[in-house]
Amino acid sequence: MLRDITLGQYYQVESVIHRLDPRVKLGGTLLYIISLFLFKNFIGYLLAALFLGIVIKLSKVPFKFMVRGMKAILLLLLITVVFNLFLTPGTPLVTIWKLTITIEGLKLAVSLAIRLTLLIIGSSVMTLTTTPNNLTDGMERMMRPLRIFKVPVHEVAMMMSIALRFIPILLEETDKIMKAQIARGADFESGNLLKRAKALVPLLVPLFISAFRRANDLAMAMEARCYRGGEGRTKMKPLVYQKRDYIAYVCIVVYLITSFVVGRLPFFTV
Amino acid sequence: MSIILDHVNYIYGEDTSLEVKALDDICLTIPEGQFIGVIGHTGSGKSTLMQHLNGLIKATGGHIYFNGEDIYDKDFDMKKLRSKVGLVFQYPEHQLFEIDVFSDVCFGPKNLGLDKKEVELRAYDALRKVGLPEEFFYQSPFELSGGQKRRVAIAGVLAMKPEILILDEPTAGLDPMGRDEILDQIKQLQRETGMTILLVSHSMDDVAEYVDRIIVMNKGAVMYDDEPKKVFSHYKELEEIGLSAPQVTYVMHALKDKGLDVEVDAITIDEAAMDIIKALKK
Amino acid sequence: MGIIRAKDVVYEYIRRDEDGNVEGITKAVDEVSLDIEQGQFIAIVGHNGSGKSTFAKHINAILNPTEGTIWVDGMDTNEEEKIWDIRQTAGMVFQNPDNQIIGQVVEEDVGFGPENMGIPTKEIWERVEESLRAVGMYQYRKHSPNKLSGGQKQRVSIAGVLAMHPKCIILDEPTAMLDPNGRKEVIRAVRGLNQVEGVTVILITHYMEEIVHADKVFVMDQGKIAMEGTPKEIFSQVEKLQGLRLDVPQVTMLAHELKKQGIPLPDGILTTKELMEALGV
Repeated sequence: MLRDITLGQYYQVESVIHRLDPRVKLGGTLLYIISLFLFKNFIGYLLAALFLGIVIKLSKVPFKFMVRGMKAILLLLLITVVFNLFLTPGTPLVTIWKLTITIEGLKLAVSLAIRLTLLIIGSSVMTLTTTPNNLTDGMERMMRPLRIFKVPVHEVAMMMSIALRFIPILLEETDKIMKAQIARGADFESGNLLKRAKALVPLLVPLFISAFRRANDLAMAMEARCYRGGEGRTKMKPLVYQKRDYIAYVCIVVYLITSFVVGRLPFFTV
Repeated sequence: MSIILDHVNYIYGEDTSLEVKALDDICLTIPEGQFIGVIGHTGSGKSTLMQHLNGLIKATGGHIYFNGEDIYDKDFDMKKLRSKVGLVFQYPEHQLFEIDVFSDVCFGPKNLGLDKKEVELRAYDALRKVGLPEEFFYQSPFELSGGQKRRVAIAGVLAMKPEILILDEPTAGLDPMGRDEILDQIKQLQRETGMTILLVSHSMDDVAEYVDRIIVMNKGAVMYDDEPKKVFSHYKELEEIGLSAPQVTYVMHALKDKGLDVEVDAITIDEAAMDIIKALKK
Repeated sequence: MGIIRAKDVVYEYIRRDEDGNVEGITKAVDEVSLDIEQGQFIAIVGHNGSGKSTFAKHINAILNPTEGTIWVDGMDTNEEEKIWDIRQTAGMVFQNPDNQIIGQVVEEDVGFGPENMGIPTKEIWERVEESLRAVGMYQYRKHSPNKLSGGQKQRVSIAGVLAMHPKCIILDEPTAMLDPNGRKEVIRAVRGLNQVEGVTVILITHYMEEIVHADKVFVMDQGKIAMEGTPKEIFSQVEKLQGLRLDVPQVTMLAHELKKQGIPLPDGILTTKELMEALGV
């Protein structure tokens, strides 16, 4: 039940997108997200969806994995859409009871829904095609200039990568402890908010204890394998731009320019 | 007090590419008062099967009857089933959470909605049954040794007064001393209370001497279901699926093959020794 | 001098009550001395709390002795500046396979040690490949560790240490959390390291069937070395082992029982074959 969370999960398959340098994917995702907020018409969104579609096709990751990530934010999406639908002032379209849907509201709600969907799926493509280690490597490299300001870039990257490695393990553990407590008559599903929060104690205490024990063990194992921070470390998979990465950059730039131009044409405006 | 499994199937991730048949057409009867060993290696479906018995996992096909009632009936009280079929998970000490041992054991009976006096009475009784010395009752469970923690966790389930107790790998990770102590305690518990006990293990050695009946699981199906001696006579087939009969079985078979007239179904060392001496004297 | 040498090693820790007052001092390791030759397969057994794991952590300089000295390849583990050389020389594999794998992909995890040591990229790849092959996990190099069985994870951990090219590997109860198949896999891999790669192995365990192939066995109890010798010598003393609450293989027990009943058998029978020969059938 808890294993459905795909955000941050890597999907193992050989593809061009998988082989791209993580910096390209990070930068590309960032630029893609920015592009989503530049559009002034629906043609732009169509273009963005098309671009994403091609990338997904190239990545060879089944589409349903992308959509699974959506489940987690479905509620958020719904709330945003509903709020915008009813609370935007403008030309009234339909009135239901005391709530009025305006043309502006409808357009805004639809455009927001598209934006959020593309944003989530776009970022899922990145996490699904990049091993978390690779991703943190990419971030570490991109943020390297921050070291001048004494930002512990390597440490942050290492922490992230460890956190990602242990998420599935801790999820499984949560599942197990939950079942064990249910077997002892615990009830996680009924009662008011306070009662439910209290019911979580038998779940959270063992989980924290286990997490601390794991952290302790891991620290020892890392030290035993000569880990002593980022200083003097070499890389098994150093990041070196390949020809395909430059091509990818060109594609992203072309997409950005096209979307900038097309997205501002005065048709089907938002 | 019995459980009947009627053609139970369980399929993981149905309708996806990752579909796995975890349980395949299981038919079993678990009568009252039996001490049963459930053996199989990791992934054989034994743990999945056990979680079906108290309704933590719902079968994708088939029926389970508890005292004749179908547990998948709409008006069946699942909570009552869980109090009657106690399940002790692997590494049960990982679910301890209270500030002291006694409060932790009280958690189960408290959830049953019993009054305070009854709850405490049951907790006290359960802790005694697992043989934990009284001096530990008001200590933090986290300060105990591995074997003691495990006893506390088992007591936590016993305090719910289940009629059937399922223990999933109760000896995992314990040293030989801790293992023997826990197994002896379980045997004693069974003798004193006459409770139905299912002991899940991947080691024949653990259960051979103790149980009345062994169920061997393989690839989600029941492979053998018989008394220990008869199950061990299939030692060659067991070997093929990565399980082994107690070492004594091999010795006796080897001796027999070499022409020494011994009974091959000895399980304990004493039985085997007596048998060999008898055969040598002939 | 051997690869690992310990002289009168004592490790004490102070027990405190809830208010932080000293309740007492426990000697987890008590005057342990031993000398291990390069290339040997050593087993250290004892029940939980016998001090075997605490002692093992000294060899990797995770713990430092309260008294006495340990030399790893001639280096004193008390010397701060030698600590990374010591850890490279004597690698360590721990009990819980989940809590020692850092990488998200098998090969990345095996590369972690060499990365820390500053090995050039090309050589890291060579080391990763050869280490994964040595433990028979090469075909899993692209897998996520979460999808592997316990025995496979533990073999990955061993490869991770092996990639650091240690002279000696210490395995601290590597099989305690595994099922019988996983245990066999790991022990087979460990024996391979010792026999094929010539790595000195120190195996800490409480499973007695795993020590049958060791060159030398140390039995620990209450922080002290209670017995030492070849497996045969150790298993000859069935009553003493039982006194220490350790398992004895069923064949050995059976032979012991037969001998007690008056059948002339030698001590320390370890396999069915030996028993048959001794019985003359």
